[in-house]
Amino acid sequence: MNAPCNILISKVLVLDEAERGDEMLKAFCDETGLVPIRPQKRAAGGVMSILGSNVDLGGILLYEDYGGSGRGIALAREIRHARPELPIFLRRRCVASMAGFDADTATLFRCAYTLDDLSVLRGSIEASVFSRIYPTDLVRDISIMTRESLRTLFTRCEVEVETPYLVKDKIIYGEVFTMIAIESAWCRGYMMLQAAEEQALSLLEPAPEASGRRTFRELNSVLGEATNLIWGGFKNKYVSPSGIVNTVQTQVPIVINHQRRYISFGSEDPQLCFKYVLKDRTRPDAPGVPIYQRFVFNLNWAPESFAENPSVESFVESGELELF
Amino acid sequence: MAKILVVDDSSTVRTEVANYLKGKGYSVSEAVDGKDGLDKIKSDGELKLIISDVNMPNMDGLTMAEKVRSDLRNPGVNIIMLTTENSPAMKERGKAAGIKGWIVKPFNGDAIAGAIGKLVS
Repeated sequence: MNAPCNILISKVLVLDEAERGDEMLKAFCDETGLVPIRPQKRAAGGVMSILGSNVDLGGILLYEDYGGSGRGIALAREIRHARPELPIFLRRRCVASMAGFDADTATLFRCAYTLDDLSVLRGSIEASVFSRIYPTDLVRDISIMTRESLRTLFTRCEVEVETPYLVKDKIIYGEVFTMIAIESAWCRGYMMLQAAEEQALSLLEPAPEASGRRTFRELNSVLGEATNLIWGGFKNKYVSPSGIVNTVQTQVPIVINHQRRYISFGSEDPQLCFKYVLKDRTRPDAPGVPIYQRFVFNLNWAPESFAENPSVESFVESGELELF
Repeated sequence: MAKILVVDDSSTVRTEVANYLKGKGYSVSEAVDGKDGLDKIKSDGELKLIISDVNMPNMDGLTMAEKVRSDLRNPGVNIIMLTTENSPAMKERGKAAGIKGWIVKPFNGDAIAGAIGKLVS
């Protein structure tokens, strides 16, 4: 699918068994831009198995009696222990409050709601999952720039873009291949490209040597150049030369735990993510290969100052030589 | 056939540009950054054209171009930039360093083949 890229969505893990409210929750998710994911097994092991994989979640909708009377609360503790970055929204049987919980238990949840009034849930979702405004033009342009860059470098592939989404997850898909600092007067942070090495290697042209095999170093280089092209396009369109500050600016440590596939930029704000699916035209039956792009504006985010750079106008197209 | 030096920290770009130029019959050498490029320009007086990226580690392409003119006092070799940069300020700095042209990536050999032919003749 080549989505219009003018809305943002976010995936939520739904741990609820509301027969009467199932349609209601589904409609709520549709209205608010949430994509519900449900585990196949109700047992805590099934839930924790999902949380151990990459699903790029924005949060969790949990029923207090999920898996049995009162068991939802114990599950919430497990989830908080394993994935403290994910906000949990608790559906209660009767009262839309933390009544009956001690202070420690109440801190597990962003809000408590009932099916009788989903406005509480709506407000809490907006405040935590959709808490950042990403300008539609920016979201659309990033996807276009990136798609063109990937098409240039993966010459055998069609590149499709799925609907951009927001995540609070810190567990990443595949491997982080590249990271580049994004610096402007209105935003500061990082962009990353993630992929699974074996799959992505299959998209490169065969090597001219007898083996015909490409190595991870060549994939590193291609994704490095893709990152360069994307950042170049971003900078030419949105970073005014006068907006680049040359003084020493704030930095925070980036925590990367390779074994856990965990990365944290020190910010709890939702990250802007894109999924590109590359399909090899010469192997139409082969599955598409995903490349994930993640923007983390952890050091500065001032979308009210977002503007297209007027100096980008040029009579010379990309790839053509402008003679001086 | 004329000798051309390709300077880029990306092996993907170096390979793409070098393969295209070799296919057109040029003799091509490569450098991985501006410092490496400057060393190769110093040691090879037969180079006719440098195609260089701007943003590279160790030494950027514009600084390399400035040093070609100021330190090496080599006005004969033509330099064009192949970069994602497109700002007027960068281009002005390039013009001041005597750069002959500017290409915004991605590389499209067929679009510039004629101009390259004139620059190396």
